[in-house]
Amino acid sequence: MTSSKNTMIPIAEFVIKEGKRLGATECDVRISYSNSVDTGVRLGEVETLEGANSRSLQFEAYVGKKSASTSTSDLRRPALTELVRNTIAMASASEEDPFAGLPEAKYLAKKIPDLGLTDDAIAKITTEEKIQIALAAEAAARGYDERITNSRGASFTDWSGSTVYANSHGFIGTYSSTHCSISAAVVASAGDQMQVGGWSSGALSYGKLESPEQVGITAAKRALRMLGAKKVKSQVVPVVFDPLMAAQLLAQFVGATAGSHVYRNSSFLAGKIDQMVASEAVTIIDDPLMIGGLGSRPYDGEGMPALKRTLVEDGKLNTYLLSSYSARKLSTTPNSGSTGNLYFAPGKLTPEEIIASVGNGLYLTSVSGPGFNVVTGDYSRGASGLWIENGELTFPVEGITIAGNMLEMFANIDAIGNDLIFRSSTVSPTIKIASMMVAGD
Amino acid sequence: MIIEAAETQLQKLFGLTAEQVQRVLDTATRGEQGKKQGVFCDIYFQAGTAQGLTFDQGVLKNTSSSTTSGAGVRVVVGDKTGYSHTGHVNVTNLLQCAKVARAITEHASGIANSGLNVDLDAANSSGQHNLYPILNSPVDIALQEKIDLLRKIDKEVRLYDARIQNVTVSVACESYTIIIVNSLEQIFVDLRPLVRISVSCLAEENGRKETGSSGGGGRYEFSVLAEDNMWQEHAHIAAKMAIDLLASTPAPAGVMDVVLGSGWPGVLIHEAVGHGLEGDFNRMGTSAFSSLMGEAVASPLVTVIDDGTMQDRRGSLNFDDEGTATGRTVLIENGVLKNYLQDKKNAGLMKSGVTGNGRRQDYRYAPIPRMTNTYMAGGESTPEEIIASVKYGLYAANFGGGQVDITNGNFTFSAVGAYLIENGKITRTVKGATLIGNGPKALHNVTMVGNDLSLDRGIGTCGKAGQGVPVGVGMPTIRINGVTVGGSQ
Repeated sequence: MTSSKNTMIPIAEFVIKEGKRLGATECDVRISYSNSVDTGVRLGEVETLEGANSRSLQFEAYVGKKSASTSTSDLRRPALTELVRNTIAMASASEEDPFAGLPEAKYLAKKIPDLGLTDDAIAKITTEEKIQIALAAEAAARGYDERITNSRGASFTDWSGSTVYANSHGFIGTYSSTHCSISAAVVASAGDQMQVGGWSSGALSYGKLESPEQVGITAAKRALRMLGAKKVKSQVVPVVFDPLMAAQLLAQFVGATAGSHVYRNSSFLAGKIDQMVASEAVTIIDDPLMIGGLGSRPYDGEGMPALKRTLVEDGKLNTYLLSSYSARKLSTTPNSGSTGNLYFAPGKLTPEEIIASVGNGLYLTSVSGPGFNVVTGDYSRGASGLWIENGELTFPVEGITIAGNMLEMFANIDAIGNDLIFRSSTVSPTIKIASMMVAGD
Repeated sequence: MIIEAAETQLQKLFGLTAEQVQRVLDTATRGEQGKKQGVFCDIYFQAGTAQGLTFDQGVLKNTSSSTTSGAGVRVVVGDKTGYSHTGHVNVTNLLQCAKVARAITEHASGIANSGLNVDLDAANSSGQHNLYPILNSPVDIALQEKIDLLRKIDKEVRLYDARIQNVTVSVACESYTIIIVNSLEQIFVDLRPLVRISVSCLAEENGRKETGSSGGGGRYEFSVLAEDNMWQEHAHIAAKMAIDLLASTPAPAGVMDVVLGSGWPGVLIHEAVGHGLEGDFNRMGTSAFSSLMGEAVASPLVTVIDDGTMQDRRGSLNFDDEGTATGRTVLIENGVLKNYLQDKKNAGLMKSGVTGNGRRQDYRYAPIPRMTNTYMAGGESTPEEIIASVKYGLYAANFGGGQVDITNGNFTFSAVGAYLIENGKITRTVKGATLIGNGPKALHNVTMVGNDLSLDRGIGTCGKAGQGVPVGVGMPTIRINGVTVGGSQ
């Protein structure tokens, strides 16, 4: 990776220099390089081997308040000069946006911390070892129970990449990261019903992955527990979101804090700064600086510093996510328009205790469909999971929907678990929403 | 003639000669003739530009352009695939890709000669379509023309009603040259244009906010998008949707009879049956439809077709991303399951014919079976009769997207606002809700099919295995009984 970083920096400097020379009043450039290999197996045999080196460059030019951006994978110097020239011509032919521009120099990151985002061990894994890892995951899943009758396959995927960002204020930053994952998906059958169950474990370093056997067995269990799933009657009940579902819900909620939604007044959280937007149990944190975190980054996409921040504190909305453009639109200061490692601060209850607190309700393990409206907060999605009776998980349910309004749902979060695991860039412990509409038979 | 054009394009766009490309194919198949060895290789070249402009809150906010020039080398042995791509096409990099892709052959012992058992005569009929001839690349049209169109649309939406607060309008244009060469000594070249406009707006009244949207396009000239009736229609649909929703009440929850409008609600067909009939899932036996070929999977009123040969359509292709001429495939005929959608690999393994449905997002991906334009054929009833037939139910005319679990067949699709039907009459507007059903079961409950078949306006992108491809959907107005509606009341 070091070699590609060393190639990228001179290219970035060249592009910025050409931008200034050819008439851009401001400009910036992003370059990324990556190598990835995907090793897939199915039914005990290798099925796919995919490997690729990718690279791309994105250049944005401002001519006064006019701007244009272009991207390419051709990084040869004459082609880049041509790209810069064309971009500036495009910008000149476009129209003024009074809010356009780079972040002011004072907002740019002054130092770039090393967040430990690479693991050299990944590059040393041989193709044969990757195949064995994927085979072991699939074998564990298929061998777990005789009702596992088919497989969608298992894979080991590894990725390494570097990125450079530079702009005409003189900022230049670069960092590298690695990633690897094991995943498996198998089919459980009973009668004429089939259910697929999948699981994956991803990390920046090989040593942090779950074992292939763990991944396979989790996939098998997730398929098996859905066998015999049926509908329930329509009713208003508590819904317990498992950690994956709670993380999805969190991402949707925090999406509504994006400056671009707020300045358009197209967010249910617009105008709600310093107000209660959730129950007191809810604290939402964004920490891009976690060492080795899956969402960590030393600076944001505009070269602004990454900072830990509390977006929602004991139910109160502290801040929106503001890119430099959004901040100008809203006449305020930018704080980065994207998140790093985003999570609900964990509570004290175990997931078992949360489930035990429900007399009759849904333990949600899967949702489907796009049914969320960020303007109104209206939420309606296909759902499946396990039914809770008298504090215990009983039979599987599918073919139902859950519905509510995001503000009411967050006001009704009355339990947050202690089971927070940083398995992705947006994560959550188990949470419980005191009441939602479940539609079924 | 085609071959000559393709070779000229290879030289012009990538600086490659036919001999150099042959060397890459030979390296990928280890110098043996593909047919003999049971090893198949193809190289997918893509060059072109995608351009987008966004007009937001009355100003031009984004002007962007993305240039693509790359190639992907695929090696197939039996059910095994090796793939590698490069965004910097030259002989050295292509040979490196060929070496990476052919590594799969080392894991293919015992299945020699089981390569691609495709009926080559059927697969080799490419070039018979010319579905999207254009004179001017949409990318080359002057920016000012595009900006003028965006400004006109923005103004039209605002003029519709004083309660319209925000308008966002965008235009996307692309044009790609695709060249496919393979180890069966075939070569194909296609020029694929695509244009689209999208309109969204927000209406506000007494603190209540609602949004509306519309959009459309196809594989045709930019000038078609710029025709007055075309863009005005999108402006009016988006504005009306937002204004109507200001008066909406929460949707009901539970099981009820539902009338789906014509056009874009055909996303139901795409999710409920289309994905489940893609060849890969059925070869593996992981689709809810896997064992149902020849059986009744829908009411006799239902006929479903996938047609990649419709003139100018967003989902259409002259040939698919493996060089197979696209076709018209009847998936369900009068309720009975008839065919799957196939690419070369899965057709060969299932010993069935290719259907021209092997597609990929771009050169970075190996092809997989995908839909093109998928629709339910028209029936006998008028839309008015269908609405009048419902005692209490929902009329859903505008949809968002959908999703399906292939294996258990459960699908959802999302109504963006709907109307309540009481005693055969539309009485009020209700908020959006998710509708949920089961693929092999839901279409048995189709009790009326309208005579007003229409395709969507050309806005759909379908996602599968991380790859997005442009598709079309369509449907006449239909009535389905007993659908679970996920409202909040």
